[in-house]
Amino acid sequence: MISADLAHAYPELILAIGALALLVAGAFAPKQTTLVGGGAVVLLLVAAFAAATQPLGVAFSGALVTDAAAAFSKVAIYLASAVAIPLGQPWFERRGVKTFEFPVLIVLAALGMGMMASSGDLISLYVGVELHSLALYVLAAMHRDNAKASEAGLKYFVLGALSSGLLLYGSSLIYGFAGSTLYSDIAVAAGQQANTGLLFGLIFVICGLAFKVSAAPFHMWTPDVYEGAPTPVVAFFAAAPKLAAMVLFARVLGDAFPAAAGQWQQVLVVIALASVAVGAFAGLVQSNLKRLWAYSSIANVGYAVLGLASGTSEGVQAMLMFMVLYMIDVTGFFACLTALSRQGRSMETIEDMAGLIKERPALALAMTVFALSALGLPPFSGFWAKFYVFKAALDAGLWGPAVIGLVGSVVAAFYYLRLIKAMWFDSSAGATDRPPVEAKTVAVGLALFAFPLVLVALTWLDPAVAKAAHAFGLA
Amino acid sequence: MDPKVLVTIILFGPLIGAITAGLFGRRIGDKASMGVTTGFLFLSAILSWVVFSQWTWGHLEPFTVTYAPFIHVGDFISNWAFRLDGLSAVMLVVVTTVSSLVHLYSWGYMADDPSKPRFFAYLSLFTFAMLSLISAADFMQLFFGWEGVGLASYLLIGFWHHKDTANAASIKAFVVNRVGDFGFALGIMTCFWAFGTIEFAKLFPLIEASVGKGWDFAGGYFSLIDLACALLFVGAMGKSAQFFLHTWLPDAMEGPTPVSALIHAATMVTAGVYMVCLLSPMFEYAPVAKTIVTVIGAVTALFAATVGLTQNDIKRVIAYSTCSQLGYMFFAAGVGAYQAAMFHLFTHAFFKALLFLGAGSVIHGMAHEQDMRRYGALQKYLPITYAVMTIGTIAITGLGIPFLDWGFAGFYSKDAIIHAAYSAGGAGHPVGYFAFFIGVLVAGLTAFYSWRVAFFTFNGHARWTPEDLEQHWHNRDHAHDAVHDDHAHGHAQHETHDEPLPEAHHGHGHGDHLPHESPWTMRIPLLVLSVGAIAAGFAFHHQFIGEHNGEFWKGAIFNAPAEHAAGHHYPLWVVLAPIVASVGGLLIAAYMYIWREGLGAKLAANNGLLYVFFYNKWFFDELYQATFVRAAKFLGDLFWKGGDQKLIDGLGPDGVSALSVQVGKGAGRLQSGYVYHYAFVMLLGVAGLLTFALWAWAA
Amino acid sequence: MIIGLAHYLAVAAILFTIGVFGIFVNRKNIIVILMSIELILLAVNINLVAFSAYLGNVTGQIFAMFVLTVAAAEAAVGLAILVTFFRNRGDISVDDASMMKG
Repeated sequence: MISADLAHAYPELILAIGALALLVAGAFAPKQTTLVGGGAVVLLLVAAFAAATQPLGVAFSGALVTDAAAAFSKVAIYLASAVAIPLGQPWFERRGVKTFEFPVLIVLAALGMGMMASSGDLISLYVGVELHSLALYVLAAMHRDNAKASEAGLKYFVLGALSSGLLLYGSSLIYGFAGSTLYSDIAVAAGQQANTGLLFGLIFVICGLAFKVSAAPFHMWTPDVYEGAPTPVVAFFAAAPKLAAMVLFARVLGDAFPAAAGQWQQVLVVIALASVAVGAFAGLVQSNLKRLWAYSSIANVGYAVLGLASGTSEGVQAMLMFMVLYMIDVTGFFACLTALSRQGRSMETIEDMAGLIKERPALALAMTVFALSALGLPPFSGFWAKFYVFKAALDAGLWGPAVIGLVGSVVAAFYYLRLIKAMWFDSSAGATDRPPVEAKTVAVGLALFAFPLVLVALTWLDPAVAKAAHAFGLA
Repeated sequence: MDPKVLVTIILFGPLIGAITAGLFGRRIGDKASMGVTTGFLFLSAILSWVVFSQWTWGHLEPFTVTYAPFIHVGDFISNWAFRLDGLSAVMLVVVTTVSSLVHLYSWGYMADDPSKPRFFAYLSLFTFAMLSLISAADFMQLFFGWEGVGLASYLLIGFWHHKDTANAASIKAFVVNRVGDFGFALGIMTCFWAFGTIEFAKLFPLIEASVGKGWDFAGGYFSLIDLACALLFVGAMGKSAQFFLHTWLPDAMEGPTPVSALIHAATMVTAGVYMVCLLSPMFEYAPVAKTIVTVIGAVTALFAATVGLTQNDIKRVIAYSTCSQLGYMFFAAGVGAYQAAMFHLFTHAFFKALLFLGAGSVIHGMAHEQDMRRYGALQKYLPITYAVMTIGTIAITGLGIPFLDWGFAGFYSKDAIIHAAYSAGGAGHPVGYFAFFIGVLVAGLTAFYSWRVAFFTFNGHARWTPEDLEQHWHNRDHAHDAVHDDHAHGHAQHETHDEPLPEAHHGHGHGDHLPHESPWTMRIPLLVLSVGAIAAGFAFHHQFIGEHNGEFWKGAIFNAPAEHAAGHHYPLWVVLAPIVASVGGLLIAAYMYIWREGLGAKLAANNGLLYVFFYNKWFFDELYQATFVRAAKFLGDLFWKGGDQKLIDGLGPDGVSALSVQVGKGAGRLQSGYVYHYAFVMLLGVAGLLTFALWAWAA
Repeated sequence: MIIGLAHYLAVAAILFTIGVFGIFVNRKNIIVILMSIELILLAVNINLVAFSAYLGNVTGQIFAMFVLTVAAAEAAVGLAILVTFFRNRGDISVDDASMMKG
């Protein structure tokens, strides 16, 4: 019985035991950071393989769900986490932070995110969320001697803890009114009668999760944390945790509250439009690229939530597709920022990027691709992402929100184009340092994915995502 | 070979040439570009004659090859296709023959131009567009070709883009053609709206049934077919430079002379005539539109001929002559003699191309001087040019022997038109008599200005000196101004007096500074076209306009039964009138420019009222300047400064963007950096969402 | 008066509110914020245990144990971050943590 359950938890077990082993190894050989980093990457890749091949079903009395959606998102999460390690570790070492904890923390965060993606119970939800959040708090403050980084970590921690409190309070209400923490039981209870207490709890849970995906009005932490946290950490922050939280969103709403779809739909539409609006408008006046991209990620999460707000399987499919393609964009963009520096100083503002096309044509081109993709210009990946979302929204009859979302993306186009204009047409602001090979490889590789590989990738992403979306309890 | 394959090669050969020379011209060099384009054109021309001979003497039946879908939207279906029938067979030989000869001619004429590949690419592109126009099986492809030739014409008029006048002329041609195209497009839309198809083969059978459809509007009755035909004719007016929309054609002479010969004489400008003939199944049911066509055609013929009398620029005279001859073709079509119109189009292509290329040869020999007042006595220096120009002049003036039924090309076609107009008058269309009288009058005027060109240029005394020519070579740029100063009324118009040449030209065999005959590449086209100018009428008049012309056209032209009285029974004076007028014109010209040389200049110096009126082209440019151009400018300023900048930009883009930035700044201020503010916003969010949710769920 | 579920829930709600207010009304010390967070978690625990007792199922209590454990870890992480912050800035007042804004 237990062994059968364990078979469903192989990826988690691999990561948990592996993380502990790496921790011990690091403690005994603190200078072997490369070894630990390599081990962490291997762990994540093995876990991704295990997630892709594990048996489908439920384990631990329903607390752990390993369906197609879990498998799909875990693979994406683990791979995105694996990319973060070669991106981050050299960056820290160049800045004199030679610690083995970074890869271990990434592995622990990945473990938590995997649990979020396959949670079938409020308790496993909470444990997953906390496991990844605690790791992320530390990662944000990882650059210990940097005042900005520690402030970012502090802010993230305080607000994150508050959001966890909201999430928990909502969970406790749901538990109380449904009589169980299992999603399947909650779904039954919610289906029986309109229970205000249950929906009250649901709102709290939605608020807590909205914080994790940085949707408005729970987005306030995002710009500050993105600006303060180390750039490669932001590359990680903006990608995998967002996907995990969105999948968790879909899990709670789709598995536990399919009967209340009419109710949560309205709330999600409000959150989505608020996010799109905040992300589009507040981004207009930013000159720091990390802040700018924070607002951009707020807007983009708005689109993902809009997909979810469709309340259909097609909407979940759109959300998954959007998040996966967006992860590639955002990781790639922050990889570019990671790769760029001028006389040892990070290049973080639009002014820093002036004339980059002459200094670093490959990276400038990659950044152009990511900007155009985030802008939603065909045929870049971002266009397809938005295409899925708007199609789902329109099919669900959400005409108004779809139009507002489109207007938002027009407004946001300004800041992407401003960046491109600075890179291509402004006169250069001086020579840049030689970009580190790992970051550059990641950046260029992901740019190639954003276009043209995405066109090929869509042919197998589309069925995979559709299959994953059908795992949720939505029509 | 299968004629379907042949026409495909004919159509796409020039396109391949254009692409090769246009895109790779720099890489493959001048010679290769010229060779490729000219080679493909000659191939097309030979194959065209093969197809044409099969059509005329063989048993080729009309067919349509469909290549690919163009637009399929709902009921709107358009295909890329090649439609071969009597009309397109005629046009095929006209277009490819003249075009190939012009390509060859340009080898000599453009020898010193630095951008030959571009020139030849444009020429071939034009030919492709023209072929796709004439081979269209529906309005959409017709429109495509129509715009394609317009584009090529624009590019070629402005070929010497360092000349301001050339740029202005190309823009003028483009803009005036837009006016026509607007009507054309409306006409196409009307057809689609009324009949649900734009395919000729499907459209024409529907026409008869819709006779009688129409509307009372603003106190008048508008028949559907009349409306459609009139709108389509507006397009033809633009392209064929008919009265009101003619102003671009004389200015188009800014382009290189081979271009003038090909585009602005032989082919593109005849597209309007071609369209009216092609749409004969529609026009035959549109009496009002036909009347409009007749009147506009006749007025254009008269107008252009009168202006042509007084011009001094050799190319401009021929340009007005073209305009006038197009007028002939239109009124022929207007009175229902489509066959005669097409026949005149056919013969005109030969002799007008010949005249233009001959003029080009003179210009070439005279160091790119275009003012005829600086010519004279050139027959000694340019004997071949003299001979072919004389042949061309005889052809255009339509000399021939009426009772033997033998003459030069223009004799057959022009007389047929004038006779058709007369018989239309007899058949109860007063405009037919109107057109007939104008036709006869214009025949005389044509003879006068055509012979004036010939005599002014080749006979009399030399009004140039070798020093002039030398001066001309040295000071080409200043020469332009100098000639302008000579003009009594030159300020009212900007004429072309010389075509710029690269410096390299200087010193290439011009050491003697005497007019020189052109190279063989230019002479061969002249000779070939001379044969056409002599024989085109004689050889083909039985097929085109003879008793059994139906066997030649094979249904491409439709004549309403009652309209077309078979016509060889005219009164003697009607038969003789054109030739008498023509000989009269010849004699007056000879009197003024040979026997009493200098009389013309004296008359011009008198500044008679009529002379000034004609010389300034009936003041059309001034009229348009004062009305349309100024009104458009005023409206443009109003819309731009008032409407666009203040209203739309102010409230729209500029206002919205300013507002967006304000909103962004506000959002930024909200982002204060204090944790407790962020927490507060989150709590507000929770409270807000709870409230919203409870309110929404209760509702 | 019989103490029922509603009372427990009310106490928990009050505690929760106090905790939340503690986060954004307090403008002095970040330590206070950590305490407020603990307060929120305690409110949740009261809820969970009260529901557990009311429903007669043990899930809520297990949940509460998890929350307690995680809260401890959370406090540890929070304090660690606070230490680095203090080392960089020499101060732990709330107003001080506002380098980044806009």
